[in-house]
Amino acid sequence: MTQTLTSDAVETLSADLGEPGWLAERRLQAFDLFEKLELPDPKGEEWRYTDVRRFDFSGFDAPVPTQSAPEVTADLADKGVIIADYQTAANDHPDLLKEHFFTDVPTDEHKFTALHGAFLSDGIIVYVPGGIEIAVPYEVFRDLAGGGSTFPHTTIVVGDNAKVTFVDRFRSESHERPSLCASVVEVTAGRGATVNYISLQEWGRNVHHFQTQRFTGHRDSTVRSLAVQLGSKFARAQVESVLTGEGSFSEMLGLYFADSDQHFAQRTLQSHAVPNTTSDLLYKGALKEVSRSEYSGLIKVAKGAQGTDAYQANRNIVLSEKAVARSIPQLEIEANEVRCTHGATVSPVEEEHIFYLMSRGIDRVTAQKLVVFGFFGDVLDRIRVPELREELARAIAKKVEGGQSLEVAS
Amino acid sequence: MADQLLHIEDLHVTVEGREILKGVDLTVDKGQIHAIMGPNGSGKSTLAYVLTGRPGYEVTGGKVIYRGTDILRLAPDERAKEGIFLAFQYPTEVPGVSVVNFLRTAYNAVHPENQKSAMQFRMYLQEKIDLLEIPSELVDRYVNQGFSGGEKKRNEILQMAVLQPELAIMDETDSGLDIDALKHVSAGVNKLATDEVGIVLITHYQRLLNYIRPTEVHVLIAGKVAKSGGFELAEQLEAEGYAGIAKELGLSEEELAEVEGSEVSV
Repeated sequence: MTQTLTSDAVETLSADLGEPGWLAERRLQAFDLFEKLELPDPKGEEWRYTDVRRFDFSGFDAPVPTQSAPEVTADLADKGVIIADYQTAANDHPDLLKEHFFTDVPTDEHKFTALHGAFLSDGIIVYVPGGIEIAVPYEVFRDLAGGGSTFPHTTIVVGDNAKVTFVDRFRSESHERPSLCASVVEVTAGRGATVNYISLQEWGRNVHHFQTQRFTGHRDSTVRSLAVQLGSKFARAQVESVLTGEGSFSEMLGLYFADSDQHFAQRTLQSHAVPNTTSDLLYKGALKEVSRSEYSGLIKVAKGAQGTDAYQANRNIVLSEKAVARSIPQLEIEANEVRCTHGATVSPVEEEHIFYLMSRGIDRVTAQKLVVFGFFGDVLDRIRVPELREELARAIAKKVEGGQSLEVAS
Repeated sequence: MADQLLHIEDLHVTVEGREILKGVDLTVDKGQIHAIMGPNGSGKSTLAYVLTGRPGYEVTGGKVIYRGTDILRLAPDERAKEGIFLAFQYPTEVPGVSVVNFLRTAYNAVHPENQKSAMQFRMYLQEKIDLLEIPSELVDRYVNQGFSGGEKKRNEILQMAVLQPELAIMDETDSGLDIDALKHVSAGVNKLATDEVGIVLITHYQRLLNYIRPTEVHVLIAGKVAKSGGFELAEQLEAEGYAGIAKELGLSEEELAEVEGSEVSV
């Protein structure tokens, strides 16, 4: 019989996976935390406008253990590159796993990370030793059944001057029964390393998606993230870059397009812990019909982090009068020689623009597509995987076309 | 009539509850250039917008027949496909959309029988750029974003050249242009003004007409064509102003006040 999200189910999962004792123990500790912790309060900055206090965990089936780690070529394996699911890593690379297990995102952060710690079901660890540059992106597909739950975990550890690109896809059919995904991503870039991490949330419609991504950049490293939200019913992504080494750089891109009654929430952190670090954030979203989005972003500059250069922009385009986008930038600066810029806009699609385009023979839907493409243009241009750029352009076009409130494209 | 393009009869238009056009009559044949002159507030731009189907303009009476069909029910894009073009007084900026991409989309919509690939369109566009002597870099920039006043108007003429309309309405194409830009834009219009095209030039000032010679001139005052004639009418306007014409026509005090009020704001 299928179990729900209970402590018995935690034990069943751990036994099914044949996990070592320390892992089973960690799961049960996390489950205890899950039971003790309250759901996040929308009064706090991190969950502002995102009220999940009545979120009901009882209806979801416990996760099915999944192994979705991509293959490593023999050549890279010889050079010490490891890409493994957690089950394999627990047996073959226990020290590596222990060293990086929930080190950046602790399970006690909130109720969803605690539940994630208990039911982690689809874990992948990527280890790239110093000096190894991998040109081809790794791509992983996470799936989710109707009524089910999944707890994907991505750990990426990149050694000094190494380089890797990882594309994490959260994709499923639309199911009638609601499903749950609580995911954690932990990325560490060594000195001079470059990491590109892309998450594509394309879940079917009845999914609740909670994700925490945390990036740590050591000296002279480059960490680039792109967080895409297109699917699900409700999705919350918390994306945090913590720059702990001088000369490190973080690029944070976000692209979201909500339709019907979708609700996307995003929380970002640009944390500058040491002097002379740079972060550049651009989150852009489109909303139509009765959808909602919240963006709240904090730039945090620690005491003594002189020479910080931080940029944050959140732009929203609203295609219907009933869609609501909220944007809340925040600054917390304790150093004095810094440059911090932030801006937020929420604008409707200008009927002037549409008329101008239509007066040239372009139908309304195509005109809207042009305006929305134009809007997303600068984010799309900055995506370094060309196939992905085209794929997202198509997804955006489909979103514009898709709604009931629009005329059919000719 | 075989050469008749546009026939407007007793057109009444209301904007936000206020009647702006109060019975306009106008007939444009192929190969003709009609200048519509008038003071601010006389309804010139309203006429341009109602012909192209801008939302918010309510036709309360009369008809607009274009090539034998009533076009008032058509959406703006359908009118463009029928061959109607408006050169905007204030062209709109469309951030993130390049002129070339925008124009290819428009061209393929207006000429579905003659679709062009990106490469083919580029070559076609280059012909038009050369014809109009427009800097090529303009078309790789975002539509009207950061364009000077002159560049915006040149871009409008380029669009006209690309789309090849049969009826081109030019709304204050001369406004905001210095003399060199005015000459350049006018030269472009003259190159496009073939026997197959009808042009409606909307302007406040006579100076544009020194560069684009109209075949007919109409004076629009208080929502009506008050007087029509040839080029000499434009010259009379230049000499006497709109108030002079209004007096000559014995317009009512209310209508005169409208004219005079608008003269103050010029």
